[in-house]
Amino acid sequence: MGLPLLGQTGRPLVFPGKRSMLVHNDFPEDLEAPTESLDSFLTPVERFFVRQHLPRPRVDVGQWRLSVEGMVSRPLTLTLDELLKLPQHKLPATLECAGNGRGYFRPSIPGLQWTKGAVGTAEWGGVRVAELLQRAGMDGKALYASFDGADVGAGQTPDFVRSVPMRKCLDADTMIALTMNGKPLPEIHGAPARLIVPGWDGASWVKWVTRVTVAAEADKGFYFATAYKYPKLPVAPGGAARPEDMEVIEAMPVKSMFTSPGGGTAANPARMRMGRVPLAGFAWGGENRIARVEVSTDGGARWLDATLGKEDFRFAWRQWRMEWTPPGAGYFTLCVRATDSAGRTQPIEAAWNPSGYLWNSIERIAAVVEG
Amino acid sequence: MRAMVMLWAAMAAYGADGALVAKGAAEERKACVGCHSLRISSTQRLSRAGWEKELDKMARWGAKITEREALLVYLVDKYGDDKPVEALPRSADGVGR
Ligand code: HEC
Repeated sequence: MGLPLLGQTGRPLVFPGKRSMLVHNDFPEDLEAPTESLDSFLTPVERFFVRQHLPRPRVDVGQWRLSVEGMVSRPLTLTLDELLKLPQHKLPATLECAGNGRGYFRPSIPGLQWTKGAVGTAEWGGVRVAELLQRAGMDGKALYASFDGADVGAGQTPDFVRSVPMRKCLDADTMIALTMNGKPLPEIHGAPARLIVPGWDGASWVKWVTRVTVAAEADKGFYFATAYKYPKLPVAPGGAARPEDMEVIEAMPVKSMFTSPGGGTAANPARMRMGRVPLAGFAWGGENRIARVEVSTDGGARWLDATLGKEDFRFAWRQWRMEWTPPGAGYFTLCVRATDSAGRTQPIEAAWNPSGYLWNSIERIAAVVEG
Repeated sequence: MRAMVMLWAAMAAYGADGALVAKGAAEERKACVGCHSLRISSTQRLSRAGWEKELDKMARWGAKITEREALLVYLVDKYGDDKPVEALPRSADGVGR
């Protein structure tokens, strides 16, 4: 197998439960799934991307408690066993980092230079947030719940706290997950409990949750009041937006990608042989179902409908595939675009924005068919 | 003017001042560790203005930077926005750990 790969810090690049991930950062862990490894509706944990803002905390599950406090008449403090005794809910949902695709924006933008693989789909199981809020006797005037995890920053680094508006908290699919793909949530994904906010950006899905605070206002810390915002109106590439014109990202846009072939550029095209070429990938639309996926093999001049996978859930990606018989040897530009149930489709080029979020350009892959 | 052009040509040919870059590298190992590994910087491609902003942000968050100019020169020299993007390393097998 050769020598283990070493991190710059001397740490070997081995992460619990993970295999062959693209390493953007080793401490804290920021790991991207190689696109061609995303080939099943549910993403195996070993290939599920990881995004940590702050170092992973050590959580002693025996000591761990989840509290529900703030504008409630009966504050709760629950152990994991107590949570497991409450009614359990299950849901397949796609999780995507708001910055997935940041590496494609030009001029380049500070932050993780994700390409396509900061996305995955799992079946999450746990307790509805609405169930907890109701048991705690939530005040009807509350507008937000803020979620804090066990992770803490070093120095003056801000704590990671995210607020979710009450209308989304009370949605029957918003939950505190205790399981991922039928097994206890792995530590690297937030054990013992993480928030699931279906259709919303990954930043909302707080890991290692310890405290839910019900309030009339949103949290004022960096990670909610400053980070993860998107300009109301487009800005010129490289430009700036006024803070008052920045809005909190909520539901994700519509997007699609190829997983087969996984990628290809003019300088390094995907190579394939004449005959039947399987094209495949995923499409997802935030809080909307996918209505249609179209594929072009000629740079977007002609579009054909792809076949959609049978797994069709509101908050999960949809697999698509198409068998292509190239008309001859040569150089081809493969494209894919999705339309969701609300009629949204993808832009030719995603709007540049100061933090590099929501990249959902129509993907173009350069392919060379060999005779 | 002619001297300026020659100086510019020499700098373009040999890149940034080697001693300053080395000093910046040492500063990075001192000031930029503790909270995250250095890899988070090596995967960025930022202009000098971009790195300036990044250092301001890190200083606000608690990084103690003493050799700021050397650090900037080093970061732009290694991870400037004109530098090619490098392929990321793959992690080894951690399943079962
Ligand atoms: C006191 C802790 C701390 C120190 C010291 C520190 N950083 Fe950071 N740095 C952070 C945190 C926290 C983040 C954000 C992590 C996240 O949200 O993913 C970060 C992120 C970054 C990023 C990614 C872009 C971004 O802004 O999120 C870069 C690049 C970076 N740091 C460079 C540096 C450099 C260069 C130094 C040395 C001058 C440094 N850091 C020292 C805490 C620190």
